[in-house]
Formats: sequence, structure tokens, C-alpha cells
Amino acid sequence: MAVFTRTTKNLILKIDEFFDNVELGLLVFREGIKSYLENDMESFSRHLQKVDTLEGNADMLQMSIENEMITHSILPQHREEVVKLIEELDEIIDSAKRSLYEISIEMPKIPSSLNKDFISLTETSTNAAEELIPAARAYFKAPYTVREKLIKVYYFEKETDKLSLNTKKRIFQNIYDIDLAHKAHLRYIIHHIENISDKAQKAADLLSAMAIKIVI
Amino acid sequence: MILLFLTSGLFLGWSLGANDASNIFGSAVGTKMVSFRKAAIIASIAVISGAVLQGSGTTDTLEKLGAVNALGGSFTLALAAAISVYLMTKFTLPVSTTQAIVGAIIGWNLFTGNRTDSATLSKIFITWISGPVLGALFAILLYILITKFKKASGMHLIRFESLIKIGLIVVGAFGAYSLGANNIANVMGVFIPAFNLQDLNLGLFSLSSGQQLFLLGSLAIAVGIMTYSKKVMETVGANIVELTAEAALVVVLAGSLVLFIFSSTGLSDFFVKIGLPAIPMVPISSSQVVVGCVIGIGLYKGVRNINFKLLGEIALGWVATPVMSGLFAFFSLFFIKNIFGIDVGHKIDENLKPFDSGPIIPDENMSDIIKYLLLGVVVAGLLTLFYFYLLERKKTRELKLSEEKFWKNML
Repeated sequence: MAVFTRTTKNLILKIDEFFDNVELGLLVFREGIKSYLENDMESFSRHLQKVDTLEGNADMLQMSIENEMITHSILPQHREEVVKLIEELDEIIDSAKRSLYEISIEMPKIPSSLNKDFISLTETSTNAAEELIPAARAYFKAPYTVREKLIKVYYFEKETDKLSLNTKKRIFQNIYDIDLAHKAHLRYIIHHIENISDKAQKAADLLSAMAIKIVI
Repeated sequence: MILLFLTSGLFLGWSLGANDASNIFGSAVGTKMVSFRKAAIIASIAVISGAVLQGSGTTDTLEKLGAVNALGGSFTLALAAAISVYLMTKFTLPVSTTQAIVGAIIGWNLFTGNRTDSATLSKIFITWISGPVLGALFAILLYILITKFKKASGMHLIRFESLIKIGLIVVGAFGAYSLGANNIANVMGVFIPAFNLQDLNLGLFSLSSGQQLFLLGSLAIAVGIMTYSKKVMETVGANIVELTAEAALVVVLAGSLVLFIFSSTGLSDFFVKIGLPAIPMVPISSSQVVVGCVIGIGLYKGVRNINFKLLGEIALGWVATPVMSGLFAFFSLFFIKNIFGIDVGHKIDENLKPFDSGPIIPDENMSDIIKYLLLGVVVAGLLTLFYFYLLERKKTRELKLSEEKFWKNML
């Protein structure tokens, strides 16, 4: 029985650690984008390394959680969904890491007049994903509160869509001193940042269905 | 020869183990919360304990209904009940061994011209109906308690489920104990009046004549669990998979409580002591109690589409199974007596106790057989447990090694 209790405790700790990694990854991603916009490349590359490490940790934890749940037959009725949720959350931090890597390789030239828009976009998009973490934690402790927590995810996702649209409009309709290829490149970077909130919404949809299933 | 007569009872025990253990561990095994191996070992040990320690209460009731006083009669009744159960199962009707054996005893009473005690019979009928109803009530109460506890405690889902898992094992063991205590009468009840073995002294404790028969019967149930209940458990689990883990626990606990209540003489005596009426000690159908519990939870959760067809089939089973089994018993007794010339019992002088009118079985060999059988079972059980322990250790070590190897290659 001692082994059994230890397994449960370890798994709970691992899931919490996984959430911490995703949450921290999002925070570092935001700081990384800010550093890039401020042209502080040293700080940017430090943030990139940090996100990389956090994503690696999250991957290891994800596999370990999945293995333990199957080996010790934990949550047999909800296992598939929990594993899927963890995969979706891992996709978010994965996407954050990929975006920073793309920026570090392509080094897009972002006009300083767009700095504010890019920061707002990054803030809102990461906010959507960050609001998902407390909801995911609540699934395990207070499933009744999950849906009310998810409202913020949907709100920030919509806001991100609006900001992304406005920024793209500004790039293509109001800025004349950059060529079309440059504009397309900026649009591509916006898509990358926006992608985080889209993935958060996808995970929120799954979490919402999981919460209903567990409550009824 | 005596063992040959017991075969029909042992067969009935085997089929009871194969079918009814699924009512106790079906949801746990079906949802993969407990492995079949673990469930089978726990259920077998608990069934044997329940039957030997607490099986006499329900057996007394069946004895009151009809004290079969010849081995040939006991053999025929158990066989008739077993065939009825087999046929009803073939027609996919929810059948109960209890109802089959009661019908067979009434058939014997009719054949031998003995009077069927209407008070005992009505007590049995009432219990068959009140069992599932009580199961439903217990299930509703327990479900309310457990869901309130889950909400109020704010416990982590994984911790809660691990508690449920422990609960399923503990409650499953209690359920199997109650099943052994309550249903052993179905398997060995008809043999009790025909046997009068000398007490078997095992050093620390001794087993009475009835307990020796209960031991044999419960071993047959355990063999049924080990050899044939896996498929049934997996099917039961798949059929009620919509039940949440806590609902599964509630169903098993409520069902076990009902079985326990109707087989605990101690509880009945306590009721009498505090001025309440005595609890009738009657073997009841674990399957029907479980159905009652599931319906109880369904009603509480506001499920509108209650399966009335299933309820109708259960009600049909209350009548059809005893009638069919009674007819089988009556005609089989006729053939066994008139064609094979075997004594199947006779009219009991109502001034004598059942044992006084029944034949006494020479028991020296029988007691020796039981003694060696018990020793063999204990040794085999210990060896099996040790083997499973080694297997489990090997599995854990291999898993650990494979995970270490995986991460070594990844990094």
C-alpha cells in the first residue's frame, strides 16, 4: 500500500510540475519577445534557452505521467482525456519554443512603430494560455469551477484575434515604407504569436468537455 | 460415493462463483481499476471465510423450508437447480441460484409429501423483493454521502480515485465475504440435513459438519471465480462502464450491505435485543440486488429511461425460476427413485428434528479427505501467492529498467 500511495503522490507532483513548466514557459516567452523588440539579443537568447529547457522538461514529464498512468492503472476512466489535455498543453509550450526559434533564425525586422502592437498581441495571446493553467489545475481539485475559469481563456483568445487583425491591417494598409515580402514576413510572425492563444482555446474546449463529464 | 453425490452441489457452486463474483468485482475489473488476478484471489479467500464463518444463518432458513433427508434427494435438487440456472442463462434471463434452489426444495416437498412452511416461504419471497429495493435505497444514501464528501473535501482527483481503488478492493472483499455467507446455502443447503459428519479438529479451531460442507462448497465457488469469472467480470464492467468510479463503489458497497444484512445472525440478534423485529436470514440474488442499486443511482441522478424490460425480466425470474426448477426437481426425483432405485428422501415426522429423521453418514474417510483437501488448498494458495509476488516484482523491475533505458537513449 505504501508503494501505491507513493505512486499517487509522485504522479500528482509530476502533473503540478508539468503545469509549472508550461506556465513558466509562457512567462519566459513573453519576456523573450519583449527582449527581441527592445533589441536586447543577449537577453533574448537567454530566454530562448530557458524556454527550450522548460519545453524539454515538460516533454519528459508528459511521457512519465502517461507511463505511470498506464502502468499503475490510474484514472482508467479519464486517462485518455487527461493524457490528451497534457498533450494539448505541451503543444502550447512547444509552439512558444518554436516561435522563439523561428524569430532567432529569421530575425524579422519589426518597425518600432509596431512594437506596442506586438507587445499587446504577445501579452493577450499568452494571457489566454496562462488562464488555462488554473482551469486545468482546477479539473483535478474542483471540477465544478473549471468552466467559470475558462471564460477568461475564451475572452483573451477573442482579444488576440482582434489585435492580430488590427496589427495586420496596420501593416498592410498604413505602413508604406516596407515592401510586401517584409509585410508578409511580419504577418507570419503574428500568426506564430497568435497560434498560442488558438492552441489554448483548443485545449479549453477539451477541458470544458472533460469537466462536464466529471461533474455529471 | 458421498463425494459423487456432492458433485451436483459443487457444480452449482462453481457456476455461482463464475457468475456472481462479477457482481462484486465486475465494475472494478471491467474498468481496469483492479486486476483480475488480484480480484480473484481476494474474492476467493473472502468467499471461503464468509461461507465457513457465517453461512449457517441462511442455511437454517432453507432447512426450515424443506429438510432433505437423503443424499440422493440432495444430489437431485442441486442438479435440478443447476440445470434450471443453465437453461435460464441460455435464454438470457436474469437468473438467481437462490430462486432455483428454493423451487427445487418445494419440488422435493411435493414429491415426498412434506408440508412447505408457508411462513418461511413468504419470508423468502418478501426478501427477494425487499433485497433489490433495500439495495436501491442504500445506493442512493451512499451516493449522496460520497458525492458530498468529494465536493467538500476538494481532494485531488487522482488521490480520490486511488482511495476509490482501495475502497473497491476492501468493499469487494466485504462483498465476497457476504456473498459466501449469504449464498453458500444455495450450494450446500440441501446437503446439510442429509449429512452428519463428526467435528474436524484442526488444532487452532474445529469445523462442524455444516462448516465442512460449506468449506467444500466455497472451494467450488472459488474455483468458479478463478477459472471462469474473468469474461463475465469484463462483460459486466463493459456494460456498466458509464458508471463513474464512485458510483461503482457505491453499487458494490450497497449490494454487499444487503447481502450481509440478510446473512448476519449477529446483526439480527442485535435487532431483537433493541426491540426491533429479527432480520430474516434468507439467501438472495446478488445480481438482482446489484440491478436494484444501479437503478437507485439512476433514479437519484434523474435518469428517465429506466429499463422496465429488465425489471419485468427480474419479476418474471421471481416466479419462472422456482416454478421451472421445482418441476425439474419433481420429475428428476421421480426418475432417480423409480429407475435407479436411489433413496431421495421421505416424509419427515414433524415431532422430530430434521437431523433425527435423516440418515447419518459414515464420516471417517470424508473428514480425512476434507482435512487433506484443506491442507492442499492452503499449501497451493501460499505457493500461488508467492509466485504472483515474484511475477509482480519482476514486472516492476522490468518496467523500471525499460524506462531508464528509454530516457538514457533520449538524452
